[in-house]
Amino acid sequence: MKRFLVLAAILGLTVFGCAERKAVMPTPQPQEMQQPQIKAPDESKKAQEKITEQQIAKVESKDVPSQFQEISGTFKDIYFDYDQYDIRDDAKQTLKAVADHLRKNTAQKVLVEGHCDERGTSEYNLGLGDRRARAAKDFLVSLGVPSSRIDTISYGKEKPLCSEHTEECWAKNRRGHFVILKGK
Amino acid sequence: MKKERSQKPEVRSQKKKFKNILFMVRPVFCALYSVFCILYSVFCIPSSVSAKVYIDITSPAVKKLPIAVSEFVGTSGRELSDIIMDDLDFTGIFLCLDRNAFLEAPAQPFNPKNWTVLGAEAVVKGTVIGAKNLAATVSLYDALEGREIFRKEYQTEASLLRPLAHTIANDIYRQMTGESGIFRTRVAYVSRKGGEDNLYLADWDGHRPINLGIKGNVILSPHWSKDGSRLLYSAERNRQWGIYLLDFKKMSETRVFSSKGTNMAGDFFPDADEFVFSSSMNGNQDLYTYRISASKLNRLTSSRSIEVSPALSPDSAHIVFVSDRGGTPQIFIMGRDGNDVRRLTFNGPYNTSPSWSPGGDRIVFSGRHGGKNQIFTISPDGSGIAQLTDRGNNEDPSFSPDGRYIVFSSDRDGEKAVYIMRANGEAQKRITPKGLRVFGPRWAPN
Repeated sequence: MKRFLVLAAILGLTVFGCAERKAVMPTPQPQEMQQPQIKAPDESKKAQEKITEQQIAKVESKDVPSQFQEISGTFKDIYFDYDQYDIRDDAKQTLKAVADHLRKNTAQKVLVEGHCDERGTSEYNLGLGDRRARAAKDFLVSLGVPSSRIDTISYGKEKPLCSEHTEECWAKNRRGHFVILKGK
Repeated sequence: MKKERSQKPEVRSQKKKFKNILFMVRPVFCALYSVFCILYSVFCIPSSVSAKVYIDITSPAVKKLPIAVSEFVGTSGRELSDIIMDDLDFTGIFLCLDRNAFLEAPAQPFNPKNWTVLGAEAVVKGTVIGAKNLAATVSLYDALEGREIFRKEYQTEASLLRPLAHTIANDIYRQMTGESGIFRTRVAYVSRKGGEDNLYLADWDGHRPINLGIKGNVILSPHWSKDGSRLLYSAERNRQWGIYLLDFKKMSETRVFSSKGTNMAGDFFPDADEFVFSSSMNGNQDLYTYRISASKLNRLTSSRSIEVSPALSPDSAHIVFVSDRGGTPQIFIMGRDGNDVRRLTFNGPYNTSPSWSPGGDRIVFSGRHGGKNQIFTISPDGSGIAQLTDRGNNEDPSFSPDGRYIVFSSDRDGEKAVYIMRANGEAQKRITPKGLRVFGPRWAPN
């Protein structure tokens, strides 16, 4: 019993001691542990830092030259409705003319650019422009043009023809544009 | 003790035996614990003194801390201390007191009585010497307790005056809040001029813009690696949409992915080797991941709709993206393997450009409201939607590395420019100059 009491006393003291210290101590923030230069104010040693910065050298983007000569303006642009990519009836005549041209000039290819108006955000409009260009391509394929002779590219809203914020202007920008590609 | 007990022929229950062992072992543990406690208190108490948090920025209703940033003594002292004040002021957690009311001249020694009458709780004083090379000494005082809580010396060259000021502001911010400041971070954005796009890098406040030399017929909003050493972006060059990587350690650009169709880079995974992107290489605009070192392509979605703008959650377990599968572009969330797709946005006809906050608790996006694109934030569970902008078209939002601010592009003042604001929409400020048409900003992690 006596032994038990002594044991209990030691135990009690230690536990009490621990608990008391624990209560007094604030939990240190992990950030402080990583910042040894921040010292207590009464210490005579001062923190020091030399500020440097990485020198950023200019990077040259390498240009891959195109293997084609591009001819623009042979065909009229075709137009699309807002947020739509269906080929409108008024576009079919131009598409037929493109198909005729490719049939006659077997060494040439066509590039269809898909464009959007400025409403909406860049990436979604690039997706929409991609669909418009592909809708035009699919129509040309349905007219008998081999798909290997039709390239598509989307410019989304990044290359507008008209820069005013009007419906008239937006309608002009929602377009498919045709570029003839001739081997150099 | 054990021996003594075993000699006794007493029969004890298993429970009692266990209790006894516990009693014997406990003092040992406790003794060890108390030694640990003592060591802990000896080594940790000094740092905990300076670790007093003056503003708990995690609290929802932060009371602004009145701080007096005295003009620094020395030729470039005013410029230096003005930048520090601008930094602290933008955070919205400090109330920077008007210098005209100060009673104590910059060169006078700190006297708490000169400041407590003004209501200042913290005071910053400093001197800066040198012309080609600068040496600054900065002190931060607790005006109420009348003591210096921080003092540090800084050296740098004159051309790095702004980084010097931002470093000092970071130190003051850490002393006051216990958190890291973002004042030395930078923002990358795209500039458009004469039919050509260029990548730029500027300080977070828009100063010191650098043209990185990266060109493209069109360049899209870049994405940073977690360590800030790599930048991933899409560019259209010679009729092809490629995904490019700029390595800041080597200062070189490599094309990491290209194919027919539209390829648009999304976020990097944490290892900065794999990234998520959208591509129409298989006909329809779908989402993929690509591991650069292994040239490994993995398809995440196969739908007939447009899927673009994938962004990763901070734990990279989820991907937030845009899809028009419901008829209009809306924001969806799925697992990183492409499973468990759910729609996040139901308000408005057009919600795009999502980006996750570093804490994972908010998603910022651009949504159509009243015919214009505005910046909104929403919880990943779809609750708590908040509109943050209401002038002009506002796009390309992304969070600062501490999640406290948002950078975005806006045409509210005519041409497209880069703006920053607090994550609650306060303090909207243009950071790019007039005459420069810029968009697609991304806040660097460091």
